[in-house]
Amino acid sequence: MTERPTAQELAEAIQEFLAGEILPTITDHRLRFRTLVAMNALGIVYRELAQLPPEDDAEQRELAARIRAGEVEPGTLERVKADVEARLEIASPRYLERYR
Amino acid sequence: MIADVREAFQQALAGVLGREVEISEPLLLAGGASKEAWAVDAHGEPLLVRRAAVGVIHRHTLSLRDEFAVLQAAHEAGVKVPRPYGYLPDLAGREAFVMERLSGETIGRRIVQRPELAAARAGLPEQLADELAKIHAIRVERVPFLEEARFERIVEELDEVGEPHPAIELGLWWLRESHPRPRPVVVAHGDYRIGNVVVDEHGLVGVLDWEFAHLDDPVRDLAFGLVRAWRFGIDDKRLGGIGDVEPYLERYNELTGFDARPEELDYWELAGNVGWAIGCLTQAHRHLSGRDRSVELAILGRLGAEVEYEICHLLEKAAA
Repeated sequence: MTERPTAQELAEAIQEFLAGEILPTITDHRLRFRTLVAMNALGIVYRELAQLPPEDDAEQRELAARIRAGEVEPGTLERVKADVEARLEIASPRYLERYR
Repeated sequence: MIADVREAFQQALAGVLGREVEISEPLLLAGGASKEAWAVDAHGEPLLVRRAAVGVIHRHTLSLRDEFAVLQAAHEAGVKVPRPYGYLPDLAGREAFVMERLSGETIGRRIVQRPELAAARAGLPEQLADELAKIHAIRVERVPFLEEARFERIVEELDEVGEPHPAIELGLWWLRESHPRPRPVVVAHGDYRIGNVVVDEHGLVGVLDWEFAHLDDPVRDLAFGLVRAWRFGIDDKRLGGIGDVEPYLERYNELTGFDARPEELDYWELAGNVGWAIGCLTQAHRHLSGRDRSVELAILGRLGAEVEYEICHLLEKAAA
């Protein structure tokens, strides 16, 4: 399963936000230094993520195409819901509590 | 701000109001990537200037000229909206329009939660129905430039994103299979929900954000405010986190005579979720494509999974 933005793309977006919008507003020296250190750490995360092999979304593509073609076998909804739940465990785990 | 932009506002507002005006320093408000919003007072009169943002072209939203014309039509029809003052083809190089700046709360989370708005919330379901009934009574000939909604448009948007999303596909499949008898189209607001209305302690003050106006099945417009994402965390209040659907539906039916049925609301609530799930992806791709780099847009690509989960939940309910 792939997710966009990927973790690497998210790290990049945060990096741009910190560099472009936060850093220019910081006047306190200590805070400025610590923000630069945080950005450096985020750079490490970004480069480490860049080394991971790209994820394979072939299975999801095939499933999506089958549903588009109207081939909805029994059990499809259960399977799709479980996949979405797994994505939410990463993206927004607290959201799931709203259904419990 | 730059002196000549202020000068441009001064001249433009004098033109629109038909008299010389003393203006306050225009203040650019936060939010809205495609259009700017400026707060400015002219002789103490609170105004809001909507102005095109630099280099942003959005498909599927009205031009500022057309949005202004819809606002005028709504105002004439007695809908609670900010008073429209005038359209400006060129405000310091970009098109804009001027309207009244209403005071009250627009932030969804606050509208559904603030204790001082509890009394207002109690009256909102009927008030929202009142205004929507007036919108749906606007004659189509009054706004001839509005286009009719096409189901396939959201499918095209999904295909442009190019990612596999089986939950969205299941939603689309169900929507195709279960379409209720189509109703004659009406002038639809297109984004009628908490978050796009102004509320104060007495209730509904005005309806904002007309850029998605189009012609559509009225029940689609009626149901959009039921989408869970627009309940702002108060999930048990199905109408926008502020109240129950029944008084809203009843009042709307009373005023329009449309006899919208609860099953139709269910259908269009699911359609609203499918539309917003795709909306999350297209917003994220504004960032990913480099058109509008923003961490807020980026994260919507992931938070769309919340909407997909709701689609699955509603499909389960529909199958039960």
